[in-house]
Amino acid sequence: MRIGIDIGGTHTDGVLVDGSRLIAAAKAPTHHDNLLESINQVVQAVLVDQDPVRVRTVNLSTTLTTNAIITGKTEPVGMLVAAGPGIAPKHYRIGDHYHIIYGSLDHLGTETLALDEQDLEEAIAACREQGVTCFGVASKFSPRNPAHENRMVEALAGTADFISCGHLVSGQLNFGRRIHTLYYNSAVWRTFRAFTAALTASLKGFRLEAEVNILKADGGTMPLARAQEMPVQSIFSGPAASVMGILATCPADQDLLMLDIGGTTSDIALFAGGEPLLEREGIAIQERPTLVRAIHVESIGIGGDSLIQITDGQITTGPQRLGPCMAAGGPAPSLMDALNVAGMAAFGDVDRSRQGLAALAADNQMAPEQLARQAIEAALDALTTKIDALIRTVNTKPVYTIHEILTDRAIAPARLIAIGGPAAVFRDLLADRLGMEVMVPPLHGVTNAIGAALTRTTSHLALTADTARGRLSVPMLGIFRPVARGFSLQDATAEARKLLAADLAETGVTMAADEIQITQADAFNMVDGGYTSGKNIRVVAQVRPAVIARLDDTPTTVRIAGSP
Amino acid sequence: MLKATTSLGVIFFPAFDWAISPTHPEREERLLYTQDQFREEGLFDIEGISEHRPLFATDQDIMRAHFCFPSVEAICTESHRISAGGAIQAARLVLEGETRRAFALVRPPGHHAMKVVHGNRGFCNINIEAVMIEWIRERYGRKRIAIVDTDCHHGDGTQDVYWHDPDVLFISLHQDGRTLYPGSGFPYENGGPRALGKTINLPLPPRTSDEGYLYAIEQVVLPILADFKPDLVINSAGQDNHYSDPITNMQFSAQGYARLNELLKPDIAVLEGGYSIKGALPYVNLGICLAMAGCEYSGVREPDYNSAALRESPETMETIRQTCGYVLDTYFHPPMGDFEKEGDSFIRERKIYYDTDGILEKQREELKDCDQCRGLRLIKTSSSHLLPCLGVELPIDCCPACEREGYEAFARSGKEFLVSQLLDQKNKQFRYLPKK
Repeated sequence: MRIGIDIGGTHTDGVLVDGSRLIAAAKAPTHHDNLLESINQVVQAVLVDQDPVRVRTVNLSTTLTTNAIITGKTEPVGMLVAAGPGIAPKHYRIGDHYHIIYGSLDHLGTETLALDEQDLEEAIAACREQGVTCFGVASKFSPRNPAHENRMVEALAGTADFISCGHLVSGQLNFGRRIHTLYYNSAVWRTFRAFTAALTASLKGFRLEAEVNILKADGGTMPLARAQEMPVQSIFSGPAASVMGILATCPADQDLLMLDIGGTTSDIALFAGGEPLLEREGIAIQERPTLVRAIHVESIGIGGDSLIQITDGQITTGPQRLGPCMAAGGPAPSLMDALNVAGMAAFGDVDRSRQGLAALAADNQMAPEQLARQAIEAALDALTTKIDALIRTVNTKPVYTIHEILTDRAIAPARLIAIGGPAAVFRDLLADRLGMEVMVPPLHGVTNAIGAALTRTTSHLALTADTARGRLSVPMLGIFRPVARGFSLQDATAEARKLLAADLAETGVTMAADEIQITQADAFNMVDGGYTSGKNIRVVAQVRPAVIARLDDTPTTVRIAGSP
Repeated sequence: MLKATTSLGVIFFPAFDWAISPTHPEREERLLYTQDQFREEGLFDIEGISEHRPLFATDQDIMRAHFCFPSVEAICTESHRISAGGAIQAARLVLEGETRRAFALVRPPGHHAMKVVHGNRGFCNINIEAVMIEWIRERYGRKRIAIVDTDCHHGDGTQDVYWHDPDVLFISLHQDGRTLYPGSGFPYENGGPRALGKTINLPLPPRTSDEGYLYAIEQVVLPILADFKPDLVINSAGQDNHYSDPITNMQFSAQGYARLNELLKPDIAVLEGGYSIKGALPYVNLGICLAMAGCEYSGVREPDYNSAALRESPETMETIRQTCGYVLDTYFHPPMGDFEKEGDSFIRERKIYYDTDGILEKQREELKDCDQCRGLRLIKTSSSHLLPCLGVELPIDCCPACEREGYEAFARSGKEFLVSQLLDQKNKQFRYLPKK
């Protein structure tokens, strides 16, 4: 059996799943200053009349790191950033303890300027003086050669409680993103560690002996031990949980769209052949791009509470929200009120919706029904434009080979799955407008928790080999070792699979070899002075996000926990 | 975080699965390290710099610019269509206002491909700038376009395509043709009788460095552009003037390339040659992108860059100054060329060698000396591999008499020629006529 918990902004949901059967579901209010309390409430509720020992896995999607960052409850991070020529590292300045250390590597990983020991010493001394104990160390091109980062880590011995080290975070090249990722990772480390310690203790109290995993933004999970090293990966797991929830509850083996309609915003995700599309490089945190892998989710300021306005005769809906809709006691007419007036919904106090729209319509010499219809149209226009742009972006993404240009399949979703509060109301409207089949799956009240329960561990690694120099590197695993001249692309893909499987096994996750996908496998003939000198090999292996089972249709009642 | 002050679209297409041959400079590896540098520097995370995929050039797109014999199919593989499609995408971005500027960082290159094409010359099959320019003119009407060819080799292909076209100003800066392939591009090459002064050649001595090159840009190229007042400036951007390039002898740097583009302000740049794939391209490409986007680029330099050691000698500088003075004058006062005439047509008879494919082409061009229009052009061409073919070109301002004569020549040609191709810029008719 598996427990899935999703801590949302308002509610914390929990489910207990046995195979493909939903055994129990529960909801409790989210106590932002005491998340553990919310977790305990839903765990207790779903375990009623169950034997906790049978629970093998607890998967948790938490807003802990997201909220810590948004509310500024993070700790100061000493950033040691080594770079020479190129775009200056000052452009990535982040936090109050950002130190630039002179020294550089080129794109092949060759040291072109030695690391400036004096810069390093001064930077560390300054951090020490200011009581900084969490650090991030990054050097440009560190995935090609970790020497400068390793040296900085070494120099921090005795000063640091925790260090995020660039090449161990991602094998992907992107200096600025690396810096941002390290910063956020170290900034939330202590908070996250305290939380997981308390969580572990608390789960023991329920006699749960299950392995505990934390949900990531890419829709997969990571074992708790990994999460403690890379807490930043737990950020924005909410939307990922809802995407995985769709996979776990709907037939999703073709191209499709997901629309999660909320009060203020709606989230749009795209599935290609049933697989959620990921961000190309990583998600942005506070508008700073990072290397945190994430499901690509587009947000749009259209939701049930989107404000209706008329400016110069032009009717707009959203992106502003002044409060709940009038039907729920809000101050101004919103999209939900328009749906009430148009007779498409009967939510809350319909009369208040009528009064609100009638007043706004009268000010503009319109009939309230006409205003309602046009406001709904405006919302649908905005949604359609966003959806079309998303599909176009995905279908015109850069590619680098002739083969891909000629064979790339265009993604053409024919179905949309709508979830969230007002989803059912939008079903026919969206179907008409988009010319797609629109499904509103049952159980959407706890979809996120189901997604959390049923998703599996994801992981990836990048391997590069330069047989001319006889070097093989897998930065994320800290592997930089010699390789034979005859090392081939085939050897490289086999090695990547083996290393990824072994790394997962180390954390207790067994993954069949065919579950490991090779997403890049290139070998370039390297020529020096007119002769072939070796091969430059690049391989990326991953375990993609997927659910381990699809839920069957047995209905289950949701318990409301934590209220008398 | 950095922001572009001028938005830039980059069509980055390294064609990782295409090479002329495994160890040829035009091989899969060519833009690999440039991509590494772009990624590590986070070029596409800079607000205002975006990455795009190429479009795909159709037969029509190519037939607007070239006479391909025996057929487009026989000359162009998918790689050439995508590379040209990359240039078209750059033009689309700029002309539709999606980005202010664009850089087609694509391969294979094109500037040695001439009007008539029998095969590959100097790593080029079709002229991707010419295909792009004709695409622009087809959609956006007649435009004044300036091409500044900053590849180290003379852009003899582009020069040939626009030799008779006064709407297109072609300026090539290159290593002196007496010391480098293709051995042409001398100051006296100034364009055909109808476009005199619209072809400008500025040969630079070997070992020209930043100072000399930028002197030529500031003293010759910019004044000419100021006079010509083009609607669009295109940089045919080769990167083989670099001091580390293995097949040339110049001493230009990444800083120099960036400054060049800052001065030139091209609307569109299209990659041409440049084969120092590890030591130059990552830095030069980064410098060009930053300069085109109006970002600060002072930190971009090669690890082994030493400006003092690279500086040109005073003698070299003096040669450059003299050439520049002379060349500037060829624009404002082009010498009347020694054009051969038979009856009422200007005649050019040439032999053209396709070094990559080992083809020798024999060509006779007849340009009608018409006082109503630029004149009908007939190109009779055969090669060591191909029986005589005919190209019939009607200019954009073609007069009724030339139009009639052109269509008659095309209709008749089936008897005498293996294949003939019609390129009617006025009525936008582009087609082949195989032998009957």
